[in-house]
Amino acid sequence: MSKADPILRVRDLTARIVTRKETFQAVRGISFDIGAGEAVGFVGESGCGKSVTARALMRLAPEGTAIALDGAVDFHGQDLLRLGEVAMRDIRGRRIAMVFQDPMTSLNPVMSIGAQIDDIVCRHMGLSRREARQRTVELLASVGIPDAAHRADDYPHQFSGGMRQRVLIAVAISCDPELLIADEPTTALDVTVQAQILRLLLRLRDERGMSLMLITHDFGVVAGMVERVNVMYGGEIVEAGPVEQVFHAPGHAYTRALLDAVPRLDSAGQKQ
Amino acid sequence: MRRMVIARLAWTVAILLGVSFVAFMLVRALPGDFVQTSAGAQNVASDVLEAARRELGLDRPLLEQYLIWLGNAVRGDFGYSFVTRQPVVGEILPRFVVTFQLTLIAGLIAMAMGVATGLASARLRGRADWIVRLYNGFILAVPNFVVATLIVLVVGLYFPQIAIFNYTPFFTDPLANIGGLLLPALSLALAVSVTISENTRAAVLEVSGQDFVMVARAKGLLPRTVLANYLMRNALTPIVTVTGLQVATLLGGSILVETIFAIPGMGQYLFDSITSRDYPVIQAIVLLASAVVVIVNMFVDIAYARIDARAQS
Repeated sequence: MSKADPILRVRDLTARIVTRKETFQAVRGISFDIGAGEAVGFVGESGCGKSVTARALMRLAPEGTAIALDGAVDFHGQDLLRLGEVAMRDIRGRRIAMVFQDPMTSLNPVMSIGAQIDDIVCRHMGLSRREARQRTVELLASVGIPDAAHRADDYPHQFSGGMRQRVLIAVAISCDPELLIADEPTTALDVTVQAQILRLLLRLRDERGMSLMLITHDFGVVAGMVERVNVMYGGEIVEAGPVEQVFHAPGHAYTRALLDAVPRLDSAGQKQ
Repeated sequence: MRRMVIARLAWTVAILLGVSFVAFMLVRALPGDFVQTSAGAQNVASDVLEAARRELGLDRPLLEQYLIWLGNAVRGDFGYSFVTRQPVVGEILPRFVVTFQLTLIAGLIAMAMGVATGLASARLRGRADWIVRLYNGFILAVPNFVVATLIVLVVGLYFPQIAIFNYTPFFTDPLANIGGLLLPALSLALAVSVTISENTRAAVLEVSGQDFVMVARAKGLLPRTVLANYLMRNALTPIVTVTGLQVATLLGGSILVETIFAIPGMGQYLFDSITSRDYPVIQAIVLLASAVVVIVNMFVDIAYARIDARAQS
């Protein structure tokens, strides 16, 4: 991978979640690069700051909370942390897109599936309604929704969890983003569906040449998917490197513990 | 969708049937019937009273009276007023139109104010939230007849150029008619707008914490698109529900407000009819008011299905 020209260069990123009562330091000065077309994994337990990192890159905070960010997020020479909200809105969904964890709650229940892709396409690509719908149907087909032209008029409650995650992936790739952030994209899904979604993400990355930031707590998910991996713990990156190296020669005690947590076929019977 | 509408219509008819029965029996459960009330303090021979009752059909068994009345009502004949000896329908209709107009204007004011303040309080939080909630709590504690009286007093004393007790029929001068109803409608709307405001606030806060709102923002959509298509469309269901339920409150409140503002609507008429035990009029008004409430709520249910596809199944 062309590590020489990273599209995203994060330096000393800190994120403090500010609530009325207290502030909590969720990310403590992390630095990493993501190259063009590269897939990078972020692994760590719940609360280690990996999701906050992802949202920090898009400058998104849950309603009612404020996140104070510091450091630098260099995206093609622009520091995203110092960009105005209006300019940031043009980057969200258009150049950096995100797939969220829970497909059951990530789609608007009162809008049809198609309308939820039409709106982002219309917003960023300046297409007419008809052209947008045409693109929507193509996108749905490309993420493996059968009979996409008809299903576009269906509502989220008529889709299974795996199908909804495919729809959300279609939303994310709709405007050909350069970077796709997938925040635990398979955690809420059945095991068999998980593999399908991961294969879909990999295929789309290869077809479209976009960079992928894959966030997960499961080392098993990362293994076949990414070139490099960052292990996060307590808001810091405790280990980083090519995935084989981290896998076979983990340098940090926490990484070894995480690796031991992956269930293995050959050790399945030993603990009983 | 069509099956749902038909089911709701059948339900509406069943409710109105129940209401008509209860209204009929309740009116007759009042102490003293029409004949006795008319006689008042005069000493009238009991056979004269009996003859009057026979003439009005009040001597028959209650159930028989009800069935006769129901049979006629179904055909649109609500009988004659005991007091004026005129057909009930002709007596009520012009008054109903006035009340309906007042309720409609009050409903629109309540919705506009309630949704606007509720939305502002939920979106802006901070000081705006404080002010709205303080105001809501205050208005909720003040009955609408107090508000109406205060409006009459304040406008009467300090803005004598505004005519308060100046009801103009719609077809005489539509603008003057609506203008004259604004103040009464406002005093009627305030309490209801507060209920709508509180529910809007709660609904918007609830929806804004949902994942799909974050997804919408991650799409880079414009704030007004997120607000209209993601926040409001989801918050609309509970807002529409309370608004529908509040129609009954508006109709009930209009009786008092009409009295205070001297508006020739159903309110004053209902009050007089109850005092004189004018059974056919009371029954017709109660049935009409229930019909309005039930029909509005039927439209609310149909509106759900339009807003949210899940409600159709």
